[in-house]
Amino acid sequence: MNSKKCVAMILAGGQGSRLGALTKNVAKPAVAFGGKYRIIDFPLSNCVHSGIDTVGVLTQYQPLDLNTYIGNGNPWDLNRNNGGVYVLPPYQSAKTGEWYKGTANAIYQNLGFLDRFNPETVLILSGDHIYKMHYGKMLQIHEQSKAAATIAVMPVEWEEASRFGIMNVDADGNIVEFEEKPKNPKSNLASMGIYIFDYKTLKKYLTDDERDPESANDFGKNIIPTMLDAGEKMVTYRFEGYWKDVGTIQSLWEANMDLLDSPPVFEVSNKQWNIYSRNTALAPQYVGENAHIKNSTISQGCMIYGDVTHSVIFSNVEIGEGADVKDCVIMPDVKIGKNVKLKNTVIGVGAVLEDGVSVGISEDPQSKYISGMCTNGLVLIEGGAVIKENADIPKGSMVEVE
Amino acid sequence: MIDTMGIIIASNVNIPPLTDVRSASALPIAGGYRIIDFVLSDMANAGIQNVGVATEANYSSLMDHIKSGSPWDLHRKDRGLTILPPNIANKNVYEIHGDLDILTGIREFIRRAPETYVVLSLGNCIYNIDFKEVIKEHIDKQADITVIYKDMKDVDQRELSRFTLLELDEEKWVTDIEVCPYYPKWTYAGADVFVMEKALLESIVDECASKGYHDFIKDAIAKKMSGLRVYGFEHTGYLDKIDSMIAYFGNNMMFLNADMQKEMLHSKLPVYTKNKDLPPTKYGENAKIQNSYIADGCKIYGTVINSVLSGDVTIGEGTVVKNSVLMQGVTVENGTQLEYVVLDKGVKVSENKTLIGQESYPLPVAKGTVI
Repeated sequence: MNSKKCVAMILAGGQGSRLGALTKNVAKPAVAFGGKYRIIDFPLSNCVHSGIDTVGVLTQYQPLDLNTYIGNGNPWDLNRNNGGVYVLPPYQSAKTGEWYKGTANAIYQNLGFLDRFNPETVLILSGDHIYKMHYGKMLQIHEQSKAAATIAVMPVEWEEASRFGIMNVDADGNIVEFEEKPKNPKSNLASMGIYIFDYKTLKKYLTDDERDPESANDFGKNIIPTMLDAGEKMVTYRFEGYWKDVGTIQSLWEANMDLLDSPPVFEVSNKQWNIYSRNTALAPQYVGENAHIKNSTISQGCMIYGDVTHSVIFSNVEIGEGADVKDCVIMPDVKIGKNVKLKNTVIGVGAVLEDGVSVGISEDPQSKYISGMCTNGLVLIEGGAVIKENADIPKGSMVEVE
Repeated sequence: MIDTMGIIIASNVNIPPLTDVRSASALPIAGGYRIIDFVLSDMANAGIQNVGVATEANYSSLMDHIKSGSPWDLHRKDRGLTILPPNIANKNVYEIHGDLDILTGIREFIRRAPETYVVLSLGNCIYNIDFKEVIKEHIDKQADITVIYKDMKDVDQRELSRFTLLELDEEKWVTDIEVCPYYPKWTYAGADVFVMEKALLESIVDECASKGYHDFIKDAIAKKMSGLRVYGFEHTGYLDKIDSMIAYFGNNMMFLNADMQKEMLHSKLPVYTKNKDLPPTKYGENAKIQNSYIADGCKIYGTVINSVLSGDVTIGEGTVVKNSVLMQGVTVENGTQLEYVVLDKGVKVSENKTLIGQESYPLPVAKGTVI
């Protein structure tokens, strides 16, 4: 096989436990986003637009949905004879066989895959961020600086900085120190979890790290600090633009809301940088005689008879007459009955809300549904749940399938 | 997989200016589909895995739409979808005068197909029919040819004369056929879809080609009526064909009816089309939508009433679109009034314009026009 200049590895094995019931049956990268997409569409589409045609997707937690979604990679033009997209689950071998212990171990276990393409550089990505980025520009910085590793960073608000991995850099942009979630940050440059490594150097450090029984086998905690200590040249690539970690129900909801308003905070797809997704073409959306739609995005196959304001509605959703949907994220195949009132609610795939249901409007701190995961009055309804006629689900609830 | 092949003859119906740039089979309809999607999907849904699309002219748009056939799962190593450009280098065909000439041109494709039966359809029909049932009935009745029809007893005479009309006996055997008669005698309207054994089609094509016949129904079936067992399969659902601007407009508006959406697009026989990777449609602060069918990728800031919009259409603030069909990529800037118009792909209407057609004469605007 021809060797490749750069191979991308997407870490997609995480559970995303802070997304609550949304990730009970699917891995975080397979969670629906933006009306038509899944989170993993972003790194995959970014790769294709950046000219990277060989991508490994490392899966572990609840992989079925993600595997079938990626399939042969054709939605992203990644069905190639030489290269393309590969789903890489953990595996058994003659001597060993274990789960991915950490992000670094996941790559270590797939050195055989990387060797097959013998790339000059490896791009490590995570499958839980919403952003559009030309990795080719980062690769260029990496090559020009002759660094062993390049880490994408972006400035964050100072008060937020202690939530991130913070890079302290010198005047030339060389990384001098890396601090994971520092109490008193010295810089506000946060790591975006996007790394480019010189492949030979990475292989050496991964192999050494594997021999260390004390190591957590994690890029942020082990590999990057070890490389810094060893005096490897490591530089930053400063990213300007929209980037959002959608690791919590709150941030997932916020990122969806960022797509609304004109002009939107973030525009998912435009002709210059299209985000691809696996979709079969469905019927157009039908908007009924008495529907009112304001400041929202709606996808194919929907039938809208009620009112929709400032919401993101995915494909094949039905909204009945007299319904009032405000500031909601409604994932595919959800059925919403007549006169249903919804506010600040995220609804998972295929849930059914019968006539007269009210969600996210009343207050009841004693309700059995109240969950610490649903902050600021948001409500999450798990995919497949059925909410019976006239039920009242208060603010801050998480309703799971019983 | 069933032992049946499919042949679709792309339509050469002339509906200017829409068909100046494409075969009528490739006309956009129902906000994102093409006319050929209906028959092609029905064939795919019946499990037919060998489909030839025979073209006469102007077929680049059609080829671009169906390409490898993957939306219909017809991108197969073994058979699958084949686009058949016109072949006039044949001894008997110097010029194409009718569908028989097209069939003569693809004789070799038909001969090589290993299937026993064939479903032959014109590519401008609008229906959603389970071909599996039709084929089964064809075999059960031991018919030579089965033709699908709908009883249009509630339709007026002028409408009826758009169709191929059948005379049926009590057992639904066809006793006579007339193509688009000025004074219709019967109300059974043929769908221009036929099921027969492939061997019979081959012999009909060969005989007609050698005698200089051009029209499949008039020459091959109507003239040979006495020697053939032609059976009528009744379709009770929707049936129409796109043969004029009025029919094109009316069939688009038909999709605003919820029952029709259900029958045509949300039934157990899905209609597939090429996926265009468009983002969801965005509605602005002052958008007002009523009874409309809207595809993905649109940006709507104005008012849309009783209209069908394909993907990637922009409607500006203060603009009112009523009773209209807008194809992909149309931009209507602010403050414009549109009523009873058909805007072809990429048409751009600038600010504060008024374009008004009539229900009896929807105003078409050619592809790419800037107004």
